[in-house]
Amino acid sequence: MVKVIVFPPTSTILADMVERMGHTPLVMSGEIRKKVNTPSLESPPLNITPEDPKKGLRYAAVDVPSGIRGRMSMIGPMIDEAEAALVVKDGNCLVGCTGCARTNELARLLIKVKGIPQIELKYPTSDAEARRFVHDIRTFLEGLR
Amino acid sequence: MRITKYIITSPESNILPSDVAMKIYGSGKDVRVKETCFGVMVDGEEDVVDSLIKEVRAMDPHGIFIKSRGFPPGDPRRCRSRRGGGPRPGYFMMECESKAMPLVSRALACEERGESVPEAAPQKAPISTEKLIEFIKDEFS
Amino acid sequence: MIRIAQLSCGAEYSGVQRELEKAAEAVGARLIFPEVALDDVLNVESRFGIEVPSGDLNLAMARATRLVENPDLADAVFVCTCFRCAEGAIVRGEVRRFIHSHSRLPVLTYSFTERTTSDTLLTRMEALVTTAKMKGLLAREKQTGLTAGIDSGSTTTKAVIMRDNEIIGTGWVPTTEVLKSADAALEAALTEAKVKREELEGIGTTGYGRFLVGKHVNARLMQEEITVNSKGAVFLADAQRGAATVIDIGGMDNKAISVQDGIPGGFTMGGICAGASGRFLELTARRLGVNITELGKLALKGFHENVTMNSYCIVFGTQSLVNSLSKGSRPEDVAMAACHSVAEQVFEQQLQEVEVKQPVIMVGGTSLIEGLPKAMENLLGLPVIVPRYAQYIGAVGAALLVSGLLEG
Repeated sequence: MVKVIVFPPTSTILADMVERMGHTPLVMSGEIRKKVNTPSLESPPLNITPEDPKKGLRYAAVDVPSGIRGRMSMIGPMIDEAEAALVVKDGNCLVGCTGCARTNELARLLIKVKGIPQIELKYPTSDAEARRFVHDIRTFLEGLR
Repeated sequence: MRITKYIITSPESNILPSDVAMKIYGSGKDVRVKETCFGVMVDGEEDVVDSLIKEVRAMDPHGIFIKSRGFPPGDPRRCRSRRGGGPRPGYFMMECESKAMPLVSRALACEERGESVPEAAPQKAPISTEKLIEFIKDEFS
Repeated sequence: MIRIAQLSCGAEYSGVQRELEKAAEAVGARLIFPEVALDDVLNVESRFGIEVPSGDLNLAMARATRLVENPDLADAVFVCTCFRCAEGAIVRGEVRRFIHSHSRLPVLTYSFTERTTSDTLLTRMEALVTTAKMKGLLAREKQTGLTAGIDSGSTTTKAVIMRDNEIIGTGWVPTTEVLKSADAALEAALTEAKVKREELEGIGTTGYGRFLVGKHVNARLMQEEITVNSKGAVFLADAQRGAATVIDIGGMDNKAISVQDGIPGGFTMGGICAGASGRFLELTARRLGVNITELGKLALKGFHENVTMNSYCIVFGTQSLVNSLSKGSRPEDVAMAACHSVAEQVFEQQLQEVEVKQPVIMVGGTSLIEGLPKAMENLLGLPVIVPRYAQYIGAVGAALLVSGLLEG
């Protein structure tokens, strides 16, 4: 079983594919779960506090906007933990955790330079594309065993 | 540890969110269930939820998609009725992906049947300058 | 309950969402998020005019279009994005402009860092709420009865006495101990007006010390300086109807307010560095060995182009000042360069965030330093009005507005 980071890290389809193939998807909801379960932390909605963008300094310099560093404080540790990556580039409705294009660019770069096994795809728009999409993901995930 | 899973049914699946909810209710397991526009959230102890997920997936192996969810169902910190309205951002992603699910669903079924994978469409090449000049001449002649 | 629509990108992830909510709660408001459909976000370009790579900014623009189509959804709008994000800054400005030109909703824009606290936001939120809640009071054009206004500022405390729409007494003292300074300014105004304190029908307070002083003098109105100053400015400049722009360069912060019919439609409040404030001009005057009241006249005889002056930071600004003098620059050129530098910062950092419409009214003590409005005129390419009593603007606004509370 391999820990696979999916990008966008909020994708149900990608997380599901990873889980179907018996691996562990690293997704945003896992990080959010840790935050919302932290007792005595009162910073709704996500319980991200001003301390989090400071933790994000590990991944981006202080002159990088706070929203990027705050997001990176959650995505960064997932990238650190990842043993493989499944990246889909052209998500067109990325909001919230993936609502900042700069953060998404940085996250993709950090995944890329980590040197772990990875596959980069596009969201399918036809049955033929979907067939290749699913097949390529399956082949990739099977290869991780 | 308590976890929350989001079970999403593909719009083309014969299984409706209400069917999934009934299945979970029928199991008599100690979990919380909430039906939504896209599927069902189930919240409970990890091992209980995981075993339920297996049963639910078997209802339509290619048309049901599952992901974990950060917030438990109806958490006031994220609930739109308590937080000034507007859907939580994840809603849009889910709606987008829900629209793509039938494609993936059908592809998963083909994959399982071992059908051959169609060739990728050839990459579109930019038009040659000569051809473009020809079009311009045609248009303005 | 006043509903402030939040159109933002990055607030939750910067850890400041709670601070925004706290500031809103403190002034009796609630942040709301206008409902939009996925298609509104995906097709934002067709309705707003542009789509950008960041989805949360597209969501903010989609919410803006929903608001202008249904202005009853909210009473005011707060637009905020991360500090130092270019994409966010562009969208923030365009969302403000879009709402301003398609609705009458008051708009406040802000860029935050993880260090932004509810205290920083309080005055701004208060102004936004006042603008939305007290439209009737802010529409008031005449002062009636006998009232006083006290403006407890960070550097100076001002007081005025008004009777039947006329200013009959003024007081001005440097702020030392807040309450003592307020008492002294009020006493001076009362003496000049030949009025006893007991005769006053109502007192209004504004400025940093408004709550403390307000409690002390039993004020009927304690109001932040954005709404009060814009009211005072249009009253004194006789521009109560139609559009106007109010610029107030204060001792500690600066305000740029876009006013419509006497009511603020959009504003910014800033001044991260003292280099863009009255403090820098005070420092320049001291260094040149002239009184602050003479600095402006001196500046009018000079040319800023002759001196390199960067007051983006007060420390560097002071270095520029010392360097230019040691190189033999003329004091009048140095004085004008200092005025230009302060005006330029306000122009670059704040006037870009409001609609600049004529008349442009400069107020506050610094507007009396003639070089400063002159430098602003040059930068804007528009005439700048400095009304009589410009330094008492907050006190006049407070005296005028409190008279509105005395009736009925």
